[in-house]
Amino acid sequence: MNLDPGFIWTALRSLLQAVPTTLAITAVSSLCGLLLGTVTALLRIYRVPLLGQASSAYVTFIRGTPMLTHLLLIYFGLPLLIDGPLAGAGLPVRSAMIPMIGFAYIAFSITAGAYLSEVVRAGIQAVDRGQMEAGLAVGMTTGQALRRIVLPQAMAASVPNLSNSVIGMLHASSLAFTVSVVDINAQAQIVASTNWRYFEAYLAAAILYWGMTLALERLAALVERRISLYNRGGVSS
Amino acid sequence: MIKLSGIRKKYGHHEVLQGIDATVQKGEVVAILGPSGSGKTTLLRCVNFLERPNEGELTIGDFTIQCKRARKQDIYTLRRKTAMVFQQYNLFRHKTALENVMEGLLVVQKMPRDQARERSAQLLDKVGLGKKLDAYPSALSGGQQQRVGIARALAGNPEVILFDEPTSALDPELVGEVLAVIRTIAREGITMMIVTHEMSFAQDVATQVLFMDEGVVVERGTPREMFSDPKEERTRRFLKRIAPEPIYHI
Ligand SMILES: Nc1ncnc2c1ncn2[C@@H]1O[C@H](COP(=O)(O)OP(=O)(O)O)[C@@H](O)[C@H]1O
Ligand SMILES: [Mg+2]
Repeated sequence: MNLDPGFIWTALRSLLQAVPTTLAITAVSSLCGLLLGTVTALLRIYRVPLLGQASSAYVTFIRGTPMLTHLLLIYFGLPLLIDGPLAGAGLPVRSAMIPMIGFAYIAFSITAGAYLSEVVRAGIQAVDRGQMEAGLAVGMTTGQALRRIVLPQAMAASVPNLSNSVIGMLHASSLAFTVSVVDINAQAQIVASTNWRYFEAYLAAAILYWGMTLALERLAALVERRISLYNRGGVSS
Repeated sequence: MIKLSGIRKKYGHHEVLQGIDATVQKGEVVAILGPSGSGKTTLLRCVNFLERPNEGELTIGDFTIQCKRARKQDIYTLRRKTAMVFQQYNLFRHKTALENVMEGLLVVQKMPRDQARERSAQLLDKVGLGKKLDAYPSALSGGQQQRVGIARALAGNPEVILFDEPTSALDPELVGEVLAVIRTIAREGITMMIVTHEMSFAQDVATQVLFMDEGVVVERGTPREMFSDPKEERTRRFLKRIAPEPIYHI
């Protein structure tokens, strides 16, 4: 069988319908992961009793196991975990009501949270201690100084690492096909098997992922330029 | 009035402050001198609880705090009555000069934004930075950054401003502009505790001089007593060692 360049184009157009799904998984897991990662990073940095240790355990466990495993654990484990208590509480909600993509959201948020916890922690530790102290000295509470002084600078310092993580999540979101979510990769499989043109379909998927990655890198560079103006001797306008 | 009684601070087994007493009347400027490692920075940081004293009592205005029993709320109350100017300036790096001064007014005092902006702009004008409101710290010289730091300290109307070697990190040619600003606000009757190695400045501005060594106040007195006729041998030795240093005329 020969390469059919025209089919790459056909496949590409068919894959577009799955782009929102891939983007949604990437965005939800990155955002929830950032939230989870920030909270666990703070719990670890401030060595909060129990929660700090729990956060460390979470981070090492997740980073020490494959993302596909997280997805499978959530897919098969969540029903076991929640259906009993839900029934016990007399609620008419069951895990079967969670759409497939919901499992991907939950599992990948947990994955992203662990990786982003490390990113955020490094970012916070890169902020000079004097920044927190200056906040406290003007009368802020620790929480206020964190939110208004330390975290903004930590996030700005972390933009390159954050964008790498988001790109990692974009690529890894293709694992969602294992729980029957039709993302770009799954759509490529469908197009491929219905037309018996596997290489072309997956090549189209690769081109699409690559394009999205380049766009994300561009976006990150723009955000970084804007957000770290203060580091380059800037004047606000 | 500021009153420190029996302030002690230990790091492990090392007692860095071994019972410091001091009284500062409203409008006084206390210069704290002493060799490196004598506990000057730690003392200032104990006054606003950036370091928690192990023992002692602190009074600022009508507010007294037992250091051992201080609770979070007491510490926040105390910090709202004090301000600090740091050796390394510690300006909020992601905020402009104006925002640096406004920040405490907005977040701590809950002042309306317009009012905070106006007050902050006035203060920056007062320290000679009326044209630098929108500059980020990275675009300012050390002397300018420290003057923003002073404006930020003034903003909250503190009962006392704590200065920790405010000019030590500066290039020599920038020291004068910062000392001039401190001198101006000292004349306006703002209470200050200032750790410095600028002897002529201390002599000129201070109403009271403390000489510290190894965690104790070795000697205290008026600048005249301390600089022309120190009683303690340790004070004499220190002043002799530090005397041949440049004097900044302003
Ligand atoms: N966080 C700390 N942990 C342990 N030792 C400290 C700490 N901060 C200061 N010290 C010690 O306390 C002593 C006094 O320090 P400091 O107050 O900075 O002195 P000064 O400002 O007079 O130079 C020094 O011996 C210093 O090493
Ligand atoms: Mg010091």
